[in-house]
Amino acid sequence: MTGQPLSLPIPGVAPGTARRERRRALTGLAMLLPAIVVSLLFLYYPLVFIVQMSFTLANTFLSPAGPTATLENYGAMLSRYLPNLGVTIQLAGLATLVDLLFGIPFAYILVRKVRYRDIVRAFMVFPMFGALYIAFGMRFILLPGGPATPLFELFNIPNTAVLYSLPSVVFAMSIFTFPFMVMNVGTALSNVDPTLEEAAACLGARPWQTFVRILLPLTRAGIVAGALMVFGWSLGTFAEPLLLGSVNEQKTLAWTLYLKGVVQTDYGLATTMGVVLLAFAFVVTYFSLRYSRGALIE
Amino acid sequence: MSTVRLVGITKHYGATVAVQDFNLQVADGELVTLLGPSGCGKTTTLRTVAGLVEPSAGRIWFDDQDVTDLPPRKRNIGFVFQTPALFPHLSVANNIAFGLSVKGAKKDAIGARVDEMLTMVGLAGYGSRLPAQLSGGQQQRVSLARVLATDPRVLLFDEPLSALDRNLRDTLKYSILDLQRRTRKTAIYVTHDQSEAFAISDRIVVMNAGRAEQIGTQTDIYLHPQTPFVAEFIGANNGLTGTVTGTDGAGDEARMVVAADGLTLRARPRPDVRAGDQVLVYLRPENLVVLPDGDGAEYDNVVDGTIDRVIFEGPTAQLRVDVAGRELRADISGSQRLTLIQRQGKVRLGFNDLTMIPAGAALTSAGSESASAAIANAAPGGTEP
Amino acid sequence: MAPAFERERRSVRITRRCLGGLASHADIWFCLFVCVVPFLALRVYSFTGPGGTSAIENFQYVVGSVGENLFWSIRIAFLSLAIDLAIALPAAYAIVRYPFPGKRFLYSALALPLYVPGAVIGISLVLTFNFTYHLTTSVWGLVLAMTVGTFPLMLTPLIVALKDLPPVFEEAAECLGASRWQTFWRIVFPLIGPGVSAGLMLSFIIVFNEYLVTLFVHPPEVTTAPLRIFNLVRTAGLLPTTAALAVTMQLISFAAVLLFFRVFGTRYLKGTYLI
Repeated sequence: MTGQPLSLPIPGVAPGTARRERRRALTGLAMLLPAIVVSLLFLYYPLVFIVQMSFTLANTFLSPAGPTATLENYGAMLSRYLPNLGVTIQLAGLATLVDLLFGIPFAYILVRKVRYRDIVRAFMVFPMFGALYIAFGMRFILLPGGPATPLFELFNIPNTAVLYSLPSVVFAMSIFTFPFMVMNVGTALSNVDPTLEEAAACLGARPWQTFVRILLPLTRAGIVAGALMVFGWSLGTFAEPLLLGSVNEQKTLAWTLYLKGVVQTDYGLATTMGVVLLAFAFVVTYFSLRYSRGALIE
Repeated sequence: MSTVRLVGITKHYGATVAVQDFNLQVADGELVTLLGPSGCGKTTTLRTVAGLVEPSAGRIWFDDQDVTDLPPRKRNIGFVFQTPALFPHLSVANNIAFGLSVKGAKKDAIGARVDEMLTMVGLAGYGSRLPAQLSGGQQQRVSLARVLATDPRVLLFDEPLSALDRNLRDTLKYSILDLQRRTRKTAIYVTHDQSEAFAISDRIVVMNAGRAEQIGTQTDIYLHPQTPFVAEFIGANNGLTGTVTGTDGAGDEARMVVAADGLTLRARPRPDVRAGDQVLVYLRPENLVVLPDGDGAEYDNVVDGTIDRVIFEGPTAQLRVDVAGRELRADISGSQRLTLIQRQGKVRLGFNDLTMIPAGAALTSAGSESASAAIANAAPGGTEP
Repeated sequence: MAPAFERERRSVRITRRCLGGLASHADIWFCLFVCVVPFLALRVYSFTGPGGTSAIENFQYVVGSVGENLFWSIRIAFLSLAIDLAIALPAAYAIVRYPFPGKRFLYSALALPLYVPGAVIGISLVLTFNFTYHLTTSVWGLVLAMTVGTFPLMLTPLIVALKDLPPVFEEAAECLGASRWQTFWRIVFPLIGPGVSAGLMLSFIIVFNEYLVTLFVHPPEVTTAPLRIFNLVRTAGLLPTTAALAVTMQLISFAAVLLFFRVFGTRYLKGTYLI
């Protein structure tokens, strides 16, 4: 088809065409309307609501005298709750690191060498059922007298040193998010033509050279997207720190938020924590979407 | 039964023009083929007739009804796609019944019609199978049955055989022609395959770059191409550029003399060509004859050359001859081709029919222009702007 | 002696390759084991009976005492799945088949709940339910919270399935005289069935096991099974009966996944969470 530039308007163009196209666009938007309305009412409005509320003192937002505007919540966030944010990020970061370490080789082997992929996929859904069951199960394993006790005795470590500790929280969190990491990296890997690896091998590259110089650059988008996704998800969970962590790990922002908001009804402070978590999640989402999801819509 | 009229159909996507001012009138019961290379706009044109694509400009008429603004479902057309496009989750019978059942036909009426259609396409007893259990050719026959079941006004074919292998294509194209003749449906058939077009068409529209280059019967298109594109697209052709130097002879024997690439050729005169005009001259390889030395009195043109190569292709032999520094191709059939295989050196070629086209005759060929004018004038009731 | 040398080298190479293969499979099974080990531990624990209870009694407890919680979980899952599907079907169809500006932005905006931490969804919903919508005592608040949270999980497989469906089937149906409504329900919907099922399955296992947002927005009289587990583990410590409930929940979820795999295979989960 030769693209001849046309000077518009073309004589005799049906004026209906543009109108019909507009009508189609409107029909499309109308079909999206229920989804948009539900999202606006039960996602976007509530998020705006808590942003507003985070600038009011405690629960004065609803007092008859009207809300007391304040920046104190953010001040408190900085002065008193920075360690909570620190722990949250530390746990999420470590869990992401563990997932990267185990997830990349796992995904590679799964995509390239394993024939019983469906069986693996079926069992991989277990972590997705929820961090709650993982934390519960791990707690039982690590408890004094639990199945892991002989192991602890072998290395002469006290059970409780492991049970309520940072490593066990990180371990449980990384089990929960492991499938997400494998999914992202695996999808990226299966889009890489295996003949590229063969070509590299024929050109004399060692396996690790092939991995570092061919596979890693080609799958970087998937790896980054997976890592961001895992990090984002790990920011919000609280079953693992609560059931497996010491007092320090239990300080995660999500749990503190619950205590402040629902138990102590300090809405101002709780929503502030929510806004801080949300800000982190948005940044992560932005980059994650830029790296991976866009391809679905075109 | 229906006639189809396309008036000034234009379709552009952004700045890209897919179809440009396309005009065509298809008579009742006629089978017209749109023939052209891929990307020439033939499929887009067909899809505007179906209503699957809205034209940017122009109108489409079925008989006296302007259907331009009707959606496909209200046009009562039968569209056969490149792939059979049978609904994979429905049985063959339910596929054929689909068009009737969405229009709310009675169950037993549908059943009878489905059986009739299955028999018609030679697949009686296959009703309960799923499409995946049929071969490609059978699937395409079911898709034919499916569109015929609704008794459409117009049949539209979008390269229905291109996904099939060669043998199947040959048999199925005659089945399509046969069904179209028996049902006396008006049909528009899109293809890029010349032999398919020549085999089944009443008329052929050769399309290029979104325009109709030439509309005519098989012999018109083959023997009297009106534009360089048609001459080069249909069959192989030796093309030469030259200048008309004068006229030779008189009456029926009159020939125009053309100096082309160092050769002097004689062609039948054309009213739109005068002495001094630049022209394109085409000689079909199959019209060239190898002459015994010293012979050639009965031919308008006789040229001498040197054989470059002889390529034996089975039914024909291709001769590449260097004539005055230019390679001409001659396709030799019959017993002569066998004696030529070993031949080398000088050869004498003779030919009568050669096509002369004015060098300026590009897209605005006289043929399609007058056709479009005739169609525009024939608008019923004077409702056309 | 050269042939013997060759043979030896080859055997060394073969052993190394075998070892590499073994290590690969060992890695896969080790990681899988770690993924499943919390479940296995709970299964073991659910069959132990301190305090004179036997294994069967633990599971009788699931049907009896916490049966109500299980029932709530199932009811809420079904309600939110129904709403999810009803709004995701037209949305996915519009996104794939209709031209309109800002499509990418809209999809990202609709997919956002996946990336908002559960605690944030929870606190924002509980506050708006309390002060704007007055839904705190209604089970619909919880249902809508679940709907919003799992909407992207329903939408994505539908979009993938629709994109895999060539438009020629819809065009054929339209040319045969079917209206858009008929075309959708008689052609498109059956053909994207696997995508619909994938969305339903994914959303089901998430909603069915959700405890975090539920903790914030559940009405006082409604306690879902996962929330019950969370509360029991936090307050009553570890009990074999709680483990039995957790095992039951996971087995029901796993059955849903296996059923889906059995009927449709894993192909339709592309672009979603399960590879």
